[in-house]
Amino acid sequence: MIEDLILKLKQEIIDQLQLEGMTPEEMDPEAPLFGEEGLGLDSIDVLELVVLLDKNYGIKIRGPKEGPKIFYSIKTIAEYILNQQKN
Amino acid sequence: MKFTLIYPKWTKLRGQTEFHLPPHGPVVFAATLPRDIEITFIDENLETIDFNDQADLIGISMMLTSQVKRGWEIADEYRKRGVPVICGGIATMLHAEETSHHADAVFLGEAEGRMEQVLDDFRNNRLRKIYDYLTDFPPIGSVGIARRDILKRQLYNYRGIQMVDLFHASRGCRFDCYPCCVSYLGGRKFRPRPFEKVVEELAAIDNNRLYIVDNSLSQDRAWEKQLFAEMIPLKKKWCCHPIDDDDEILDLAAQAGAWFVYQAIFDISDFIRNRVKRYHDYGIGVEGTILLGLDHHTEDFILRLIDFLLEIELDLAEFTVLTPFPHTQAFADLHGEGRIFSYDWNDYTCDKVVFQPKQMNPERLQDLYDEAWRTFYREKSQPYRMFELFQKVIDKEMADGSYRSQQRAQTNRKFGRAKQ
Repeated sequence: MIEDLILKLKQEIIDQLQLEGMTPEEMDPEAPLFGEEGLGLDSIDVLELVVLLDKNYGIKIRGPKEGPKIFYSIKTIAEYILNQQKN
Repeated sequence: MKFTLIYPKWTKLRGQTEFHLPPHGPVVFAATLPRDIEITFIDENLETIDFNDQADLIGISMMLTSQVKRGWEIADEYRKRGVPVICGGIATMLHAEETSHHADAVFLGEAEGRMEQVLDDFRNNRLRKIYDYLTDFPPIGSVGIARRDILKRQLYNYRGIQMVDLFHASRGCRFDCYPCCVSYLGGRKFRPRPFEKVVEELAAIDNNRLYIVDNSLSQDRAWEKQLFAEMIPLKKKWCCHPIDDDDEILDLAAQAGAWFVYQAIFDISDFIRNRVKRYHDYGIGVEGTILLGLDHHTEDFILRLIDFLLEIELDLAEFTVLTPFPHTQAFADLHGEGRIFSYDWNDYTCDKVVFQPKQMNPERLQDLYDEAWRTFYREKSQPYRMFELFQKVIDKEMADGSYRSQQRAQTNRKFGRAKQ
């Protein structure tokens, strides 16, 4: 199930963040979102991810302490969505 | 008359996310030029200079020591083509003699009320080599509204987010800090601009987010209170250098839109811990500026300092290494002791060790500098911390109805690191 969500998320991230020229297959779900060794996202992308979670999943992120852990990788975002949906 | 004003490129601080703010010196200087002068402004950090463009006179505005060598190259290039060059700005003042070898004229000091004469000299072929007004400050009331209309505003937009505009409410600084050259440049007498001029200029800036670049707002409590009180109705949001630690002042600052403060973190003390907490108590973020390499900085101190920064919950941290800029006490001491090993001004970017530290070798200080950036941003990355700080300003704007949404047409615009 998480695999399906990761696949969906990848496409949503490409669309929301306007990552032109990137395909879901190229995105390693466990790679860090930030930094040169990962997807290289920036602070505006985090803002877009927050909008995405609110718009597509009804999840509001308002600066929780665990924010950096949620936004570590695509996989950690997917895990957070699943947890929130369980609760 | 066609006047091309150039802001030379420089290498940005290693470790820090690259961003480009609309420069302040050139727009303040442009306000001193008569209105009939046709000004073209080029920010070389974001644009390429076409040396074959027609201009009657070239102005080179330099703020940083790390800009001067490039500024001299540009000046040489134009003069080779027979176009005269005048240099000015803070870094020109710090490097006046060297700059005079590359320019037809060097302007030292504040330009208000002086440019008519300089341009008259130029038109009559009697441009002087040096215009020295370094210690002869013009009346502060003569400072006009900065000419932000010369900026290509779309260049200072990152993915639809307009960068802050820079603004100043005063000149001079009553402090005389060890590594700083402000007292040499602007004098130790605090010179506030008249409030009506401050408000008039602030109201005219087509940007809700500002960087108030005054050296420190903590100069005069009565002035500070009135400044913030005057700013409240404008609903601007801004960052600045330190604000006095006083309940009434901090409250007024918060009401006036204080977003975050650049605060020097110079030791591990309850004073600093409390200073940061007090800003936070008033909803004001803190970007710590941390200078490494002072004579009392041992390796152990630097490592403990980095841990302390995480403990006091700074929002952001900017690390620099002590850089002995000319006309500072740091330069006098280190030069006098023969400890400076690089006088290549391109190395004076604040992220390179150019002197022999007292407590360790230069390589170790360089490593500790890199380690400071890595450690501070390990658990919470720089983009995430910047997002949190950005969210703060959005929340403030949402609360008072001043929020403007992102400019969608510019969402693909990113900054590129300027080629050296």
